[in-house]
Amino acid sequence: MKLKGVEALSRSSSNIAIVESSQIVYEGLVNILIKSHQHYQLYRFDSIEEISATRINCKIDVIIVNPSLIQFNSKDCNTLKRINSSVHWVALVYSFYGKDILSQFDEIIQISDTSESINQNLSKLINSTPVEIESSQKEQLSERETDVLVQLVHGLSNKEIADKLNISIHTVMSHRKNISQKTGIKSQSGLTIYAISNKIISLDSLAL
Amino acid sequence: MKMAGLIFENPTLLLMMEHFDLGISSIQDKSIQQICTDNGISLQVYISFANLYNGFIPTGDEFKSKDELLSIIKFLSRSHQYYKNEKYPEIRGYISQLYANNEAEIIKLIEKFFDEYFSEVLEHLGYEDSIAFPYFNAIIESSIRVSTADNPFSANDYREHHTDIESKLFELKNLFIKHLSLKGDRSIHRKLLYSLFELEHDLNIHSLIEDTILVPLVREIERSRGIV
Repeated sequence: MKLKGVEALSRSSSNIAIVESSQIVYEGLVNILIKSHQHYQLYRFDSIEEISATRINCKIDVIIVNPSLIQFNSKDCNTLKRINSSVHWVALVYSFYGKDILSQFDEIIQISDTSESINQNLSKLINSTPVEIESSQKEQLSERETDVLVQLVHGLSNKEIADKLNISIHTVMSHRKNISQKTGIKSQSGLTIYAISNKIISLDSLAL
Repeated sequence: MKMAGLIFENPTLLLMMEHFDLGISSIQDKSIQQICTDNGISLQVYISFANLYNGFIPTGDEFKSKDELLSIIKFLSRSHQYYKNEKYPEIRGYISQLYANNEAEIIKLIEKFFDEYFSEVLEHLGYEDSIAFPYFNAIIESSIRVSTADNPFSANDYREHHTDIESKLFELKNLFIKHLSLKGDRSIHRKLLYSLFELEHDLNIHSLIEDTILVPLVREIERSRGIV
């Protein structure tokens, strides 16, 4: 085995989510990606839904997905696309799909592709990401998000917040998602610190 | 290749060596092979982990022997000592120093956040030390058959713990870098953040070893014995 140099340290890693139900195909793909010697963090998910649930933990750069798992699930897929527009979508194709489906993807991996071409296309895709796309986006919470944050910090459940602010639970959840995404904080105790240091709530209003 | 040369390139390998129970005094002018032979460490594992600290992810396919697997587990449990006894307490100490120039109430909340986080980490490390690792050791050492019902280990739980630990650390970094405008001694702020990044770096490698090397290998052994 050869020792490898240190240059990869400076390269930050890319997070790749793989949604593929076949163990054989999944492991084959992983082996090919490892061969590229790129610093990829790979995450396997059973469904697109699962990605949105964990999205905040690891910023996903690329989603490689078997299109058959999306067809019935295009709603989740669209939500994901809207929220995180910088994600690259790659179809992992080994049966026939119509053009209208495949055209939604940024890149396609065919089962017959060579390792080299897969890795080449993938790294091209990743390197095409415009740098700091997000920095232009506002991190400031909207008024409604702030309302939800305050209730969260006071320990209210989604249902209670929905009732109190007269909005649906679904809306509460989407506000929560945005709050986590904008602040990088998900836990209640973390959000409490955020809210106090940004003077959104005062310490006195919290029964500590 | 000489170990010293590698350390000059990437000093975080010193921490890796500590996890292998090697101090600076073992480096001298020795080659990697010599160091491994002198200390009874699998060369394969050592090189592979050094590559990992240099940013290259090993496949795990290269480890098959019992000794290699056992040394991986030893490496991981020694890293636990570092987290428990050194790194987390060090960060905790820096946080306490923030009282001098900042609002006590805020720092108290941060301490609370950190303490809760730390106890979650301790719980997970304790689970690994007292349940997961002994189970792995037993299954590697002997050819015993364990019935599914007695199998105390769940790879999914494991992965979930890791995600939780990493996500809280991410929150802490976000709080310190983006949201809290800390006042006072800058060198403490810097040391605090450096420590968080150092911790994160080692934790990432730690869970990578567990999730992509150790657990799949244990699973393979389990399957070959018809445990799962």
